[in-house]
This record gives sequence, structure tokens and C-alpha cells, in this order.
Amino acid sequence: MKTKVLLVGGRSKAKSLATSLIRKGYRVTVVNDTYEDCLELAEIDGLTVINGDGTKPFVLEDANAGDADIAIALTSKDEDNLVICELCKKRFHVKKTVALVLDPKKTDFFYRMGIDSVVCAITAISGIIEQQAFMDKIATLVPIREGRVSVAEVPISGTAPVVGKKLWEINLPKQVIIGCILRGDTPMVPRGDTRILAGDMLVLISSDKQEMAAIKELTGH
Amino acid sequence: MGLLTEKKANEDYIIIIGCGRLGANLASTLSDEGRNVLIIDKNKDAFRKLSPSFEGLTVNGDATELDVLQEAQISKASVVIAVTNNDNVNIMVAQIAREMFQIQRVITRLYDPEREYVYHEFDIDTICPAILSAKEIDKILSETGMSKCEFQEEKQ
Repeated sequence: MKTKVLLVGGRSKAKSLATSLIRKGYRVTVVNDTYEDCLELAEIDGLTVINGDGTKPFVLEDANAGDADIAIALTSKDEDNLVICELCKKRFHVKKTVALVLDPKKTDFFYRMGIDSVVCAITAISGIIEQQAFMDKIATLVPIREGRVSVAEVPISGTAPVVGKKLWEINLPKQVIIGCILRGDTPMVPRGDTRILAGDMLVLISSDKQEMAAIKELTGH
Repeated sequence: MGLLTEKKANEDYIIIIGCGRLGANLASTLSDEGRNVLIIDKNKDAFRKLSPSFEGLTVNGDATELDVLQEAQISKASVVIAVTNNDNVNIMVAQIAREMFQIQRVITRLYDPEREYVYHEFDIDTICPAILSAKEIDKILSETGMSKCEFQEEKQ
């Protein structure tokens, strides 16, 4: 059986998400309160479009919310997204709810209200920009939990100050560990007496923006 | 804020969110009763609805922002009343007050009673004008109905 996804609100986001999800084989329904947007969305093949305010229970009922496996709230108002997800969860028992949040300070609150996944566009975008800007020092950076934890790949060049040092000799910030060293093709789990060599790729796990300090310590930049 | 700190925190400090007809009326009445009232609205002009005798505080800002609520010293409030004209804003503010700031007494006005579902387990007091009006009208109807009955009984 196809996974059923309900998208509520959001014009261009709903459009691109719906197109991509339908292509991947999901059954998608969108709810939008603007008639003109609905006409535009209805041009997408195989998409069910409901015109109405998704924060109203009867509109969600029309959209068959009770059948959905995933509900995603994409409106531009935090309060609407909260109510949409809470209605889907508590009234229609949707298994997974995803909310977009504008205000990064509300991310925690949304999680506490039982929303399964909270996406903050501002946090996500600034994370990507940060990664792009420091590309030369970090190969990849994977933010986890809204970027509170991140996993970064850091290449060690021959000129790095830590080359030849043992791990316990390096003054890393407390909230950072080197989870893995990739030496050639072999991954190794480091211990305190492991020596870092030029050409190593370090996999860094760090919390809360401490990765920059750690990278500076490791690469000297 | 000096006014508030003079009195003991948590004793009697009411925050009203939304300075519409209901919010302004409530704020003015409570202030006349001599209670500490602070009212928040994102539209500055809304405060003109307050009675001239209103002695409480006003905060101009969006009450769905945590910073605005903190500026209003929400953690010291004994009661938070959410009466903006937007149900979803009221729902969110009520839940923020209860969950983030542990306010015991939260009262909300919702136009759509069906939305109460979303915070059912939070035990937030909800006022629904449509239901109140229906009850009141029903009461008037039954009262007139009763007087008819009595009239008929008397006749017999």
C-alpha cells in the first residue's frame, strides 16, 4: 500500500514537495486556503487538492486526515502549523507529524507539544551557509537535531599543528570528540594514545557550535 | 515594572493577551478592582479601547514571541488569559504559558469549540462564545416555556 502524505498550506513549498513525493510513489493530498493556489496545485498530476483552512477539523476530515501516514504543516504562521499538527496527531491519529517553524526559539516548544519532527528553515539555511563558507576546512558537516549536534569530516593536511601528536596531547573543547579516524581506506576508532598523521580524515562529533573551535585547534586555521 | 516588583510575585498578576473588545473590557474591569493587570497587543492603537481609568501596564508586541512574554514577566503571572481574535494564536499562547512557563491558571477564548481538542489534556479553561450564547438563549427559551406552563396550570 502506498504511503499517504498530507501537506497543509505553503504554496511553492507544497508544490515542489508534492511533485517530488508523487514521483517517489507516495499518495499526496494538499490542503490550501487560497483558491488561486489550489488551481495552480491542481495542475500537478495525481495530486488531490482540498480548498480550505487546514486548522479547521472539518477541512482536515474532508482531506481524509485520518488515513494519512504523515502530515506536514507548511503554512507561514507558526501558530497555524502547531494547531494543524496537533489536530492531525490527537484527533486524526496521524503517525508522524512534521511542522515548519519560522521562529527558531520555538523549535523546542514544538517538540514538547508532541510534534515528531520540527524543521526550522532559518536554522537549516544558516547551517548550510556556514558549511559552504568553511568548505576548505570541513569536507562534510551533518547537523543533527537542529544543528545542536553535528558530525563533521575534517581533513588533516601536512601543515596542521596536530600532525604527529597523540590525541590526549590535543587541547580539544570539552563538547567535542574525535569519533573516528579514516587513514587511507581503513576507519579506526581512536584512543588517547592514537597519533594523528598527515592525510588523516577525522570524523568530529561536537555539540553546540563548538566544532569551529575544535577545527581551529586541529587544522590551525 | 516597578509597580509589580513592589508587591510579592505570583500573588496577583494577571496577563491578558489581545486588546480587543473582550480583552480591553476585562483589563479595565480587573484594573478597577485594584488588581495588577498587564495587557499585550501587537497593534498599539488597540490600547485606545482601554478605559481612561485603566491603571495597568501595556506591552506592544506579538505575544507568540517568547521575548515579548518574557518582557511581560510571564513567569511571575498568576493568571494568563488569551483572548486575541485568532483561535490558533490563543491555542499556541496558552500552551506556551502552560508548558514553557508553568502557569497554573490559563484561560482561553476559542471561537471554534472543535479546536479545543488540541490541548484537551492540558486542562486549560476554555470559553466559547457560541456555546455560551446558545446556552443563554436556550435558558431564555425554557424560561418563557416554563412561564407558559405555569400560566396554563394556573388556568386549570
